[in-house]
Amino acid sequence: MRLGRIIAKAVLAFAGFVAVFPLLWTALNSLKNSVDIITRVPRLVFTPTLANISYILGRDSVITGLYNSVVACGTAVLIGVVLGLPAAYAVARYPNRWAGDIQFFVLSLRFLPPVAVAIPLMVIWLQLGLYDTLPALIVTYSLLTISVIMWLAIPAFQGVPKEIEEAAFVDGYGAYAVFWRIALPVAARSLIGAVAFSFVLVWNEFLIALMLSSSNAKTLPIVASELSQQGMNVPWGILNASVVLLSLPPLLFLGVLSGFLNSVFRQKKT
Amino acid sequence: MPRRSSLPVTFVVPTLVILLILSMVPTLYAIIIALQNRELSSAAYSWVWFSNFVDLFSDRRFLNAVWVSVKWEVVTVVATMVVAIGLGVLMFEVASPRLRNLYCLLFIIPVLLPRVSAAFVWKFAYHPLYGIATYPYRLLTGGLIFDPLSKPSTALFAVASVDVWQWGLFFAVIVLKLLETLPPQPIEAARLDHAKRWQIHAYVTLPMLKAPLISLMFVKMIESLRSFDLIYVMTRGGPGVATETLDMYAFSQGFIESGKVSYASAMAVLMMIATVITFTMLWKRVQA
Repeated sequence: MRLGRIIAKAVLAFAGFVAVFPLLWTALNSLKNSVDIITRVPRLVFTPTLANISYILGRDSVITGLYNSVVACGTAVLIGVVLGLPAAYAVARYPNRWAGDIQFFVLSLRFLPPVAVAIPLMVIWLQLGLYDTLPALIVTYSLLTISVIMWLAIPAFQGVPKEIEEAAFVDGYGAYAVFWRIALPVAARSLIGAVAFSFVLVWNEFLIALMLSSSNAKTLPIVASELSQQGMNVPWGILNASVVLLSLPPLLFLGVLSGFLNSVFRQKKT
Repeated sequence: MPRRSSLPVTFVVPTLVILLILSMVPTLYAIIIALQNRELSSAAYSWVWFSNFVDLFSDRRFLNAVWVSVKWEVVTVVATMVVAIGLGVLMFEVASPRLRNLYCLLFIIPVLLPRVSAAFVWKFAYHPLYGIATYPYRLLTGGLIFDPLSKPSTALFAVASVDVWQWGLFFAVIVLKLLETLPPQPIEAARLDHAKRWQIHAYVTLPMLKAPLISLMFVKMIESLRSFDLIYVMTRGGPGVATETLDMYAFSQGFIESGKVSYASAMAVLMMIATVITFTMLWKRVQA
């Protein structure tokens, strides 16, 4: 039994190592000169350089990509919040015979293969003259954000104790006031998790952005992947720096999302 | 709850209408395009009805892509669940509460990364000469070269390992949280009966968690359909067509090689029909 526990702990420690080490290594490589990266034996000790990072931040394509990503994802998430949260609240609190069907419809949007949506949308946006523009990307991403936020917010609103809302009705609050003043603030923690999740999802999205942009509306993932299309001739340090830049925003939400997970499962327990 | 309020209608109807428009227009359009012979290079087109679909079934590359997609789906789903349950149980058994929190945080990191980032991180790591993941092999064999991404027999597994790195570790956290929600009495009872640790999990805890674990698998099956980013960055479907999944092939038919948008759309429509039918049936079953 003793030996078993030691092995088990070793396996866990190894898994923890595998989880973060590749990423840390990439971050380290982004601080290296090419001489220190292209080595048969990985080098831990090296003279750090900020050249890669400043090169990346100095490129117009990267800055445009960053801007496009922030605007497209930010706006789509905002639309998702405005349209998704109220709908989720209504489904959670005013269940009718369609509630199950609505939930299934929202989930089923996730079954659609992205390529099946992207091809027709490309043709549609081309015909409307909106191909390769941010509005086209925002509208397309809204489908993602609305459905994901709605799907995750329904259980969050159901987790709000009914008694609080009923007490508010007794106090003379109207249905809308209860949503604004009671349900939203009480469920806020889980809702922020749901919204953060939808942001990470669209920030990471690749296929749709690839098909819907050719030059002006490229998002950061596309720009990053193009850097490597020039083959491995691009210095690895620069590629690594672009990967780090691309990965930072989702990682900022690590705390929020792990808190969200915890609150989901605490609800289940009680 | 007040019975008469305009709230449900004003809150639900606009959102549903927008969702319906945003989803049905592209879906219907995908079918329309699939019945035509559009190409990227010219604006002219005519109706060819089902000939794209007929062509698909004699296209050996398409059949290969179907097979690769099925392999991808099975490999990633099974490996993810095995890793998740294995690590989840291990954390539950041997990690102190503080260590559990640390592992949970670490294990969530990979899944938050954009797929493009994850793909790059591992593409570098798998580099035969300078990669960090192939370094132990070079060290042990005295400098032999192992290039997992360019061998047809290993390429799919090498890409799949990145997917499992992202999802398996993340699901391990969820499995742990699920185990923590279980009441302690059955586990205690089994322990009093001198059940071994692995027996407790195999016969008591995991069967108790059957329903959530199946839902988890369902989620993974849906997410595994989104393999495009990883494959596009790491192998582009290669070597040859060894990792060319359906979305990769549709993309290269429609955009890289020939610009046959209608042909690509026919493929996408078949994919859509297959996934919607499969997942609707599975979902109804999971719910029942």
